[in-house]
Amino acid sequence: MMITAKSLTKTFGNFTAVDHIDLNVHQGECFGLLGPNGAGKSTFISMTYGTVQRSGGELLVFGHDPKTHSRDIKKRLGVVTQDNALDESLTVLENMLIYSSFIGIPRHVRKKRVLDLLDYMNLTHKKDTKIITLSGGMKRRLVFVRALLGQPELLILDEPTTGLDPAIRHLLWGKVKELHQQGTSIVLTTHYMHEAEVLCDRLVIMNNGRISAEGSPRNMIHQHTPGYIGIFALEDREKIHNLSSQINSFNAHEDSSGIYLRAATLEELTSLHSQHGLNPLQIRPSNLEDVFLKLTGQELSDDA
Amino acid sequence: MLESFKLCFQITLRNWTVYKKDLISNISPTVADPALIMVSLGLGLGAYVTNVEGMSYMQYLAPGLTVATALFTSFFESSYGFFVRMTYENVFKAMLTTPIGVGEVVFGEMLWVGLKGAIMSLCVGIVLSIFGLMANPWLIPFLAIVGFLVALPCGAMGLLATALVNNINQFQTVYSFIIAPLYFLSGIFFPIEQMPNALRFLAEFFPLIHGVRLAQAIFWNREVLSTFVLHGGILVLQSLFFCAIGFWKIRKKLIT
Repeated sequence: MMITAKSLTKTFGNFTAVDHIDLNVHQGECFGLLGPNGAGKSTFISMTYGTVQRSGGELLVFGHDPKTHSRDIKKRLGVVTQDNALDESLTVLENMLIYSSFIGIPRHVRKKRVLDLLDYMNLTHKKDTKIITLSGGMKRRLVFVRALLGQPELLILDEPTTGLDPAIRHLLWGKVKELHQQGTSIVLTTHYMHEAEVLCDRLVIMNNGRISAEGSPRNMIHQHTPGYIGIFALEDREKIHNLSSQINSFNAHEDSSGIYLRAATLEELTSLHSQHGLNPLQIRPSNLEDVFLKLTGQELSDDA
Repeated sequence: MLESFKLCFQITLRNWTVYKKDLISNISPTVADPALIMVSLGLGLGAYVTNVEGMSYMQYLAPGLTVATALFTSFFESSYGFFVRMTYENVFKAMLTTPIGVGEVVFGEMLWVGLKGAIMSLCVGIVLSIFGLMANPWLIPFLAIVGFLVALPCGAMGLLATALVNNINQFQTVYSFIIAPLYFLSGIFFPIEQMPNALRFLAEFFPLIHGVRLAQAIFWNREVLSTFVLHGGILVLQSLFFCAIGFWKIRKKLIT
């Protein structure tokens, strides 16, 4: 077991950031923590390596308590931090050599290790460039290099692709999948549902410090939002309202982009056109985002 | 323990690597300030103040300015410098994901300011001795020890300030109402004996005054050993005291 949390709790004054959560991360799996901003994902992550100390419950990482054995734990994990936190005035190589020294890589192999990883992340040509001149995507790739320097058993990715363009995101996903296939255990936090769907074997959805659902992406969709989604124009509101009161197999909700109608089968949605003259803007299989919105939407709209 | 010390040293090396990238601007105030004071006060005011405790005003100023360098370099490094690294650059967030813990962050920082204080004091001392302001130039290496011993507690005070301020502007208050007054009360510019007793008593708690006395003993070659035992001892105790409080307070900022 990589991580075991039992009734894990963290409070900051009156605010409960993590509220009695139970979870396990198994060896070799890619485990996802999904949730809106402020759900407690990063607080949980920080607890695993000891920069946030739990207020209650139990937490073991590699079988060690991070309160007392954070160094033993940190020797075995790599973290892609939410902030890049690179030394802007130094070059790529200088930055990574400094981190190699922190991780305790023997002096004579440091440079080789860094260069190999720069090559892996397609950054070799930037090795003598100052960080300040790198693009956002390059900095992010460099943070991956930094996290991998210690050849970690467990890789923690704290919102690894936030703010990146799709090309870089897909490149990083490819690397994460490769590492996963090579046997590295991974914990990923994200608020991109698609990212979680692509990468994670298993995930939990966190909201207000609590876990509101757990399972594989496929099972969660099956359990919480099975079927298909038809998205309709807001102008059709009245018609749909009448409809959904007649047919109870439909599930409807609305946001600024349209009215979302979920049905168990594709035919039910297409028949709306022939029978009621309702033209959907789009029909698609339901995905993790629908699960997420179903489980967290209420609380989000309260805050908005 | 050995591993911990190694990590402290790696942090010191990291700071040096960043520092030397912008060496000229980083080193300017440390070199320029004493030079400015020596010329303006030493030559200017020194024309009127010709006898302070039996020596020229420049001779009187030299030791104090050497040590003041260690105060400023350490205080600014561990206040503004540390605050920026902690808050704006998030350096420690990344460091703390490696085997480095808060202890190493703090004591690595202290080692860095201590060494910086030592080197700066040494450099200023060498320059001043070239102008013949040192009775026995063989004692120059001891200035490094004094610089280290002053930088350590003053750096720890800076760290304590970092833990207590809410934003970077508040360092100005700490500087204006604590550091600057004590700088003027530490016997650098005039013999402290002429100040009211209450102020003299207060100044004794500030590390700088003990460093000044040590530097004066070295520059003027007077009772070097006994001064080291007494005031060096006091500086060690003050270092322990301020480092302990600084560590305890800053720990709460880095681990929540």
